[in-house]
Amino acid sequence: MWRSRPLWLFVGLLTLLWFVSACAQQQQEPQVVERTVVVRETVPVEQTVVVERTVEVPAGGELVTLVARCKAGSVEQGRCNNLISAVGAANAWLEEQGDDRRIQVKTIQDNKDWGEYKTEFELAFQAGEAPDIIVSGHEHIGDWAPAGMIVDITDMLGQHPEFEDVIDSLWESTTWNGRIWGVPQDAEARPMFFSKPLLRELGWSDEEIESLRDRIFACEFSWEDMMEVATQAVQQGVVEEGNGWWHRPKNGPDFLYYYYAAGGVIQDEQSGDKLVMEKDALLKVYQILYDASQERKILSPNLLGTEWPDWHTAVSSAENVLFWFGGSWNWPEWAANYVADRGGEDYLWENVGFSAIPCLKSGTGKPITLTHPLVYMISTQSEYPDLALLLIAKATTKELNTTYAVESGHLGILKSQADYPPYKAAKFLSEVLPLLEYTTFLPNSPYWSQWSEAYFLGIQSVESGDLTPEEAVEVVIDQLQNELGDNVVIR
Amino acid sequence: MEAVVQEQAVEAVARRRPARVSLEAFTFMSPTMLLVTLFFFVPVLLLLWISLTNLSSNTFGNPLCVGGAREVCEALGIRAGGVEFVGLSNYRRLFADRFFPKILRNTLFYVFSTLALFNVGLALVLALLTTHIERRVGFLFRAIWLLPRITPSVIYIMMWKRIAADAPFGILNQFLMPVGVEPRFWLKEAPWLFVIVTNGFVGASFGMLIFSSAIESIPRDYIMAAKVDGATTLQIIRTIIIPLIKWPLLFVTTYQTLSLLASFEYILLLTNGGPGLYRTEVWSLTAYHRALQTYFGNNQWGYGAAWGFVLVVIGIIFSVIYLRVFRFNELVQEPKIDAL
Repeated sequence: MWRSRPLWLFVGLLTLLWFVSACAQQQQEPQVVERTVVVRETVPVEQTVVVERTVEVPAGGELVTLVARCKAGSVEQGRCNNLISAVGAANAWLEEQGDDRRIQVKTIQDNKDWGEYKTEFELAFQAGEAPDIIVSGHEHIGDWAPAGMIVDITDMLGQHPEFEDVIDSLWESTTWNGRIWGVPQDAEARPMFFSKPLLRELGWSDEEIESLRDRIFACEFSWEDMMEVATQAVQQGVVEEGNGWWHRPKNGPDFLYYYYAAGGVIQDEQSGDKLVMEKDALLKVYQILYDASQERKILSPNLLGTEWPDWHTAVSSAENVLFWFGGSWNWPEWAANYVADRGGEDYLWENVGFSAIPCLKSGTGKPITLTHPLVYMISTQSEYPDLALLLIAKATTKELNTTYAVESGHLGILKSQADYPPYKAAKFLSEVLPLLEYTTFLPNSPYWSQWSEAYFLGIQSVESGDLTPEEAVEVVIDQLQNELGDNVVIR
Repeated sequence: MEAVVQEQAVEAVARRRPARVSLEAFTFMSPTMLLVTLFFFVPVLLLLWISLTNLSSNTFGNPLCVGGAREVCEALGIRAGGVEFVGLSNYRRLFADRFFPKILRNTLFYVFSTLALFNVGLALVLALLTTHIERRVGFLFRAIWLLPRITPSVIYIMMWKRIAADAPFGILNQFLMPVGVEPRFWLKEAPWLFVIVTNGFVGASFGMLIFSSAIESIPRDYIMAAKVDGATTLQIIRTIIIPLIKWPLLFVTTYQTLSLLASFEYILLLTNGGPGLYRTEVWSLTAYHRALQTYFGNNQWGYGAAWGFVLVVIGIIFSVIYLRVFRFNELVQEPKIDAL
């Protein structure tokens, strides 16, 4: 038996090597795509087809490889893929202009957390290896523009008429210090969703359920009413304790609209570059969350920290949670990944309703939502910022953006999309579009990250019951002053 | 006269000998010294330097390019960014942070609970148990206990997260519900328990191996003699085994204290410092959060480095205390028999 030991060792070693090599092959993230031959062309108006085409470089010309970095979930691949699709149009434009350069594009796309994604760009930049184009949250302009990492494109925009089609208000999100630093790539709304079957179980008529959306728009059904209905649902056992109302399970842009809804201002003309924290608005936000989690028991004190898949599973079925605050991009994600076996989008239309986030009190203020546009930005390390902008321009078309918007549940960014049949035909997008009337943005400020961390600290502490709302305000103000010093104005 | 000269020559040789010995010793130690310098002293100096600057996402540049060096950097094409020397302001900010005492308390609680209960305590118990049973069974048990250590951290913690997940999920809930225990989000109910257990299960294997080999190397004669004299197992452990493994005990305690002070990956993955208000936030995790992880990604490397440097100082203080408590000098003394 001992004589066969070398054989066993050899077999064991081989198995181990096979396993390690198999694991190594499995590591496909981030996905690097190098394709220049696939170009999407719109043949008839409503159809998008994929046509293969090779990039021909004229004699003596230059083939320029642009690198684009995108963060995208499973239904958001169009963020980078649209750049690949725009290669043909960009090269055709260069040919028309008599420019001998041609573009090919390499894309790197995955779905990291925002913080890691942003850090990666910064470290790549310091190493001199920043991608030419990065798609990121507009608020990152607040850090990258003053740090000199991204190109001021204000004076370059006039070269491409495609940019005239971008919805005017979206340029606000790409502006810092009076200059434009990025091109909007998408927009979205963050609605309040509600479960129709659970409302029915609570005794609501079909008419009441169907009119809820409009009553919210008209400010006849408020945030306070929502909390009252959620309380009834918990008391009557329609939903379990803690499942009356859910917000997102992690920090994120959503929480800022609570502060806006409570009348808070984060930046104004008086504050200039500094950020503002208004104590009254802050207290109102913390009172709402403390009331919901500690007193009414409609919001689980354990909600923060829940894993995203568990959150999606619980809300998308419309069987567990009565009201929840989410994002428009969740809709196709739920249809494709969470309720596909129940009928996908049809199931959602039948069981889930949505509207804007209700105004705080009935008859006062107005409903609210928040848009967090992602923007194409060009690195100052790019040797060809003009070509990068050209590629972005050719990706900023109603055809490409509509395909992306319909697939991903994001809103269009172009004026021409409003009348574009494929966009109009997308029922979900048409229903979400009215929410934009109530939209708000994050600030583009180098101090936003610290402001948001301190604000979220208060949210965590009141929901867990560690602090009362008054204590949380004191802690957060203290933290903000220690973190930001003179760069925050406390009112 | 000749005798005097001879005496002087002998004295000179005797004086020279220590010098030659120390030169030889330094030559032999130089590779290690080089590595320690490159991978400990230089990083610590860099950490200290960065902690004296305002290096962050929006001032990003080479931290060495401050003050007068800025012009040199620009001439050399090195990006200076907006980095500036800010003196001790990051340290002032750190000590003014109202959560600094809480984070320090958490850190000490985490380090000493894990150390006492698992990394030294349980490790010693496991080593004693596995060396007092049939040799092969002991070997197999130790091999099984090593599994969490060779499991990738992320997978290991994901398993624990699923075990302690919120109702209606959670393996623990599935087991406890049939016996009438109400399903709960156990990870939120008892975060420290899970933080210490997840770290401890992995940490105990290190001490278990070291202690086992130390116990195995104790001459059997001692144990046999004690048994012949009628000593009980507990008496053998207390009077023979523990004193003879004092050196491994010092090593494991010191090494694991420093290791726990600097470790945060399991806490990051398990609770990320929560729930609520910094309930399981430890010092190294705060340094990581400040320097590398915020939701919107404004990394404050300068401020994070200040947290990191204070941790280095804390580690050095603990090392010195341990060396004194365990009388390190006596442990490394030449055996008296050799000295004779």
